[in-house]
Amino acid sequence: MASDQDLVVETVRDILAGHEPFVLSPERPWDDGLWRDLAEAGLTGVGLPEEAGGSGGEPADAVAVVRTLAAGAAAVPVAEQILVAGPALLAAGLDLPSPEEPLSVAAAGAVTAERSDGGWSLTGTATDIPWSGVAAHLAVLAAGPSGPVLARVAADGLDASDARNLAGEPRGSVVFDGTPADAAELTFEQAEELRARHALARAVQLSAAAEQVLAWTVQYAGERQQFGRPLGRFQAVQVELAQMAGEVTAAAALTDAAVQVLEHGGDLTIAAAAAKVRAGAAVEVVAGLGHQVHGAIGFTQEYRLHHLTRRLWSWRDEAGSELHWARVLGAGLVARSGDDLWGALTRAV
Amino acid sequence: MSSTSLTLAPPPRSDAAERVRQEVREFLAAEREAGTFTTHVDTWLSGVDPAFSRKLGARGWLGMTWPKEYGGHERTAMERYAVTEELLAAGAPVAAHWIADRQSGPNLLRYGTEEQRKEILPRIAAGECYFVIGMSEPDSGSDLASIRTRAARNGAGDWVVNGAKVWTSNAHHSHYGIVLVRTGPPGEGPRGKHQGLTQLLVDLSLPGISINPIRILDGGHHFNEVVFDDAVVPGDMLLGEEGAGWHQVTAELAFERSGPERFLSTYPLLAEFGRRAAETGDPAQLAALGRLSARLLALRQLSLRIAAALDRGELPDIPAALVKDVGTTFEQDVVDEIRAVLEVVPSLESPDPLGRAMAEAQLHAPGYTLRGGTNEILKGIVARGLGLR
Repeated sequence: MASDQDLVVETVRDILAGHEPFVLSPERPWDDGLWRDLAEAGLTGVGLPEEAGGSGGEPADAVAVVRTLAAGAAAVPVAEQILVAGPALLAAGLDLPSPEEPLSVAAAGAVTAERSDGGWSLTGTATDIPWSGVAAHLAVLAAGPSGPVLARVAADGLDASDARNLAGEPRGSVVFDGTPADAAELTFEQAEELRARHALARAVQLSAAAEQVLAWTVQYAGERQQFGRPLGRFQAVQVELAQMAGEVTAAAALTDAAVQVLEHGGDLTIAAAAAKVRAGAAVEVVAGLGHQVHGAIGFTQEYRLHHLTRRLWSWRDEAGSELHWARVLGAGLVARSGDDLWGALTRAV
Repeated sequence: MSSTSLTLAPPPRSDAAERVRQEVREFLAAEREAGTFTTHVDTWLSGVDPAFSRKLGARGWLGMTWPKEYGGHERTAMERYAVTEELLAAGAPVAAHWIADRQSGPNLLRYGTEEQRKEILPRIAAGECYFVIGMSEPDSGSDLASIRTRAARNGAGDWVVNGAKVWTSNAHHSHYGIVLVRTGPPGEGPRGKHQGLTQLLVDLSLPGISINPIRILDGGHHFNEVVFDDAVVPGDMLLGEEGAGWHQVTAELAFERSGPERFLSTYPLLAEFGRRAAETGDPAQLAALGRLSARLLALRQLSLRIAAALDRGELPDIPAALVKDVGTTFEQDVVDEIRAVLEVVPSLESPDPLGRAMAEAQLHAPGYTLRGGTNEILKGIVARGLGLR
C-alpha cells in the first residue's frame, strides 16, 4: 500500500515530468511555471501546518518533496521555503506568507536589527541569499540588541545586487538601510536551529542529486558502446561506478539519520553538520567520476548531467561551507564529549 | 537507486541495544581501571587475551544471537552490534574469540551437524574455543576457488588432507579451523571451479598439521601458515555438504564482511587525535576531526542497517561488500588526514600516545583493505549490485 508520502512524491514526479530543467540565466533565473504547478497542488506548503496556511504533513514529507525536486534539478525555492524559512518564521511567532508566494532565507552577511517606532528596522548587507530576486519574501537572520532576531521582509523594492552559483541559481545580496520589518527575538538555540535546518536542507538536496547522478551514470555506462561492448563491462569503469555507489550510499544513510533527528528530536546541529559534511564530501567523487564516465557529452550544456553536477559543486559550500560545518562538527563533538569522543559519536545520530 | 540492491532500510531504534551498550561501557571502564587491558589499534587481529574472552563469555556477550540450546543468548543482531562496536572503540583485546564468534559459530549453526553444534557452540559462547579461517593459500588469494588443498576419503571414511593455508590469523591460539578443501573435480565453464569444494571442521591439534608463524610489518605474530601433511580428519567432521563448500563460504563471507570492525580498526587513533584537537583547539584539526567523524557516522549507519537486515533474516552480501570497501578505506585515511593537520612522529616506542597509535595504525594499514576480500574484489561485487556484471 502506498503511504501518503509516496503519493506526495508521485505527485511531485508527475509535475516535474512536464517541466524539463533548463540552463538558468539572469533573464530566466527560475522555473516559474513549475512553481505555479507545485503551488497549485499545495506542494509548496508541505510540512507547514494547515492553521498557518500550509498544507500540513510531517517534516519527513517536506524532506521527501525536497529530495524529489533536487533529483529533478528543479529551479524553485521549495527547500528554503518548507524546510528552513517557513518553520523558522513559525517558530519565531511570525506570520507565514502565503505558500504560493516564494519565501527564502537570508542567514549570511552582517545585518543588524533595532527597534524603531514599536517595530523593527534592519541595517546592513545580507549575502548569498538563495533565490534573491525570485523570492517574494525573505526571512532575515539579524543581530539584535540582545541576541539574534528573525525578520520578515517583502523583497519588492529592496536594494538588491545579483549573483549566481555555479548552476546559475540566484545567490545575490541585499543592502538594508533602516528597512522596516516584522521581526521577533530568537533564542540562540532557535538561531542555531535555523542554520542547522538550512545545512540539512542542502544535505538532503546533495544526497538526492548524487543518487540521481549515479543512476544516470550507471544507465549511460550500460548504453554507451565502445570497443564493441558497453562501458559498464570494463573493469576500470566498474571500479569508478562502485566508488560512486559507496559515496552515494554513505551520504544517503547519514542524511536519512539526520532527518530522523529533525523528525524525532535530538542534537540537530551535530546531526545536520555531519550530514552536510558527508554529503558534501561525496561530491568530489560522484560529480568527478560521473563526468569521467560520461565522457565529452557530459561536459556539454546539451546533455542533462550538468544540471546536477553544477548544483552539487555549489550546494556543498552553501548554507555554511563544508569547512565551516566540519569545524562545527569537530568542535561540537569535542565540547559535548569531554574525554569521551566515542560517547558523543554514538549519541550524534 | 531503487533498481539496485545496494540500499537497505534504516535501522529501527533498539532500546535493548542501548541498554547492553551501557553495560559494556561500565564493564570496560572497570577493566581498564583494574589494568586488565590497555587500548591498542586493530585489536581484533592483534589483541589475544583468552582470560578477557572468557570474561565476555561469562557476561553473555559471545554467541549473543544464537539459540540458548547451543549456549547462545537469543539476542538481536542490533544488540550484538552494540557490544562489538563498544569493544572495538575501546581497543579491547578481542582477537582470541573474534573469528569464532563472528563467522565460524554462525557457520556451524547453519551447516553443522547437531553433534558439532552441541559440542562446539557452547564453548565458543563461553569464550573458550577459538577458530581460524582456512581459506587463502600461497597460490590462491582473491581467486579463492583456485585453492589446491585437497581432501580424500580413506578406507575408514576419514578425510586425508594435504596442502597449506596462509594468513591464518591466530591459528597458534586456535582450537579449530574451518578449512576449504577440494574434494572433487571442478566442473565445466568459468564457474566450474566452484564445484568440488568442501568445508571441513578441523581440530588443529591433529597429527599431520603444523603451524608456522608469518610475521607482519610490525613484527607481530598473528598470521600463520598451516600445513596439512596427510592429516587425517575424522569423517564426521565434514561441515555441511560435500561439494557445497563454495556456497557455504560465500555465506560465511557475508558475516565476515558486515561488522563494525570494518571501519573501527583505527578508531583508537582517531580517539587520541580527538583528545589532541580538543587540547589545541586548532581550527584545522577540529575540521579534520569533523570530516573524519562525519565519515565514521555514515559508516555506522550503514553497518547498523546491515545488523537490522540480519535480524530480518536476510544475508545482505552486496551491501556488506560496499560497507567494507568504504569502511576499510576510511580506516586507512584516518592516518593521512591526521598527518595533514598536525606534526606527529610515528613510533611504537613514542612517549606520545598519538605517535604510538599512529605507528600501530600505519603498520597495520595495508591489511585493512586486503583481509576478508580485497577492495578490488569488493568493488566487483558492488558493480554486480549495480547490474553491471
